[in-house]
Amino acid sequence: MSGSRSKSVVLWTLVTIALVTLSAPTVVVLGASFTGGNIITFPPDGLSLRWYARISQASDLRNAFLRTLQVATVCTIVAIPVGTLAGIALAKYAVRFEKTIQIYLLLPFTIPLIGSGIGLMLIFGNAGILGQLWPVGIACCVINLPFMIWAVTASATGLDPDLELAAANCGAPPLQVFFSVTLPAVMPGVITGSLLMFILALNEFLVSLLLVDARIVTLPVLIYNSIRSIITPDLAAISVVFIACSAVAVFLLDRLVGLDIFLKSK
Amino acid sequence: MRAARTAYPLKWRIMDTLEGVAAAIWPARFRRATPYLMLLPAVLLVGLLVLGLIQIADASLRTLDTTTFQFSDNYSIANFRRALTEPLFLVVAQRSLIAALIVTTVTLVFAFPYAYLMVRTRSPGLRKFLLIALFLPFFIGQVVRAYGWLIILGNQGMVNEALGLVGVAPMRLIYNYPAVLFGLVQYMLPFAVLMLAPALTAIPEELEAAAGSLGASWVRTFIHVVLPLARPGFIGAGVVVLTLSLTDFAVPAILGGGSQDFIANAIYDQFFRTSDQGLGATLALMLVALGSILVGLVFALFGAGTLAMGRSRA
Repeated sequence: MSGSRSKSVVLWTLVTIALVTLSAPTVVVLGASFTGGNIITFPPDGLSLRWYARISQASDLRNAFLRTLQVATVCTIVAIPVGTLAGIALAKYAVRFEKTIQIYLLLPFTIPLIGSGIGLMLIFGNAGILGQLWPVGIACCVINLPFMIWAVTASATGLDPDLELAAANCGAPPLQVFFSVTLPAVMPGVITGSLLMFILALNEFLVSLLLVDARIVTLPVLIYNSIRSIITPDLAAISVVFIACSAVAVFLLDRLVGLDIFLKSK
Repeated sequence: MRAARTAYPLKWRIMDTLEGVAAAIWPARFRRATPYLMLLPAVLLVGLLVLGLIQIADASLRTLDTTTFQFSDNYSIANFRRALTEPLFLVVAQRSLIAALIVTTVTLVFAFPYAYLMVRTRSPGLRKFLLIALFLPFFIGQVVRAYGWLIILGNQGMVNEALGLVGVAPMRLIYNYPAVLFGLVQYMLPFAVLMLAPALTAIPEELEAAAGSLGASWVRTFIHVVLPLARPGFIGAGVVVLTLSLTDFAVPAILGGGSQDFIANAIYDQFFRTSDQGLGATLALMLVALGSILVGLVFALFGAGTLAMGRSRA
């Protein structure tokens, strides 16, 4: 980077503030989860793992976490084929009404979450499927679908169409071209997209809040409900589950496709 | 014949069958329609949201009879009249809009240097560190992050305990407007940086060097070269942050403690506290309209920026 001293002072000041703001909640939740006392105090009341022992025994927390995993799994399984096909279609073909279709497929982002959530709540309610977990997974899939499509189009634009023509010219029928040439080429996008879909569904709060009832609360909703009553260290310990999941996702993303992929200009 | 059959691997036979099936139900003369077939599942899935909006529109036109708790069969615009005239909703709408504008400005001010440093640094280690510090909170939900702020800023939180050690009386740091704004900025930073970074990558570094060698200070280089060229990134980031903070629920609910409700909280209350589905649906519809108008306005004025999907990206 070229530039003067004042430039790096200004840049670094702003970046440091951003870094502290970004990391503070994570660091504090981690710290609070190891506290020895009954309430969260500063400086902490000694170190212990007692809150982890406590949450490993709490079946409501464990069940809520398992339900959340289930929701995220449904979301990802639906999103992978749907988003991959749409992404490839948008990136490769000259589609009529392309602009309109693009705007339409961006609806999940342009409609506010509360609107999407309430709309889905009304139609799932009419269909009589509220109170089950898979509709929550579908809902998470719909509201985050553009992420999946984006990820795939970003890697599909790098695919040379001549490769597919060459494969077809060598006698490969359409499906074989798709599975041997097109799909491997967009694989980084599919991996990025599905990781994003999984982790976003795992954390999805508002749509979950609207679609679940007391019998099937997901973990973010459970934490939200508990925050409203009282703040105890066991909540911090259970929040660490999310921090761990996030760390795993970041690690996988970096290993499988490289985090730098998000810096690439389109 | 038999030998030839075993020499033909199972995988090939499966693929042949699949190709046969595919050719039977989707013959080559349909080829032109293939992209539409590929788009169909996504279009149907997003169609759920359209159906939802229609349901909301329907509900918004029915009024609640407070004596029988039944919804009217005939349509009326009474809900819209109430939504536009009741001062409470005006206050809430104003609070959300002003917050969205402040949060967008502050977030962009901090996101730009972060993205710039991340893109321009020569050190791969620093770049990776900045990326990880960005993605870790991005992948941790709003609820957990807001909970972290409660531990730090709460009435018995870390800051107040620390102040207590040096003899300063506890202050009320949460359940007010600045706390909500602060929480929102923290939530939005990763979105903004991730929308800005590709636009900054697209700017050749030589341009900055050229401006510098022609005598421009770094401030002038930023104002006249980097910022104008980064416009697509600012549009993408600005639209995302503006709409997400305008419509947020969790941060105002947790860090505002019920006293700083945004539009989304008001809608939720209509559905689950007051049980006036009609009025709640009306407010939701108006929020959808407001969001779309804002996005449409920005797109019409500046183009879609880094938000564009598909082939037509520059």
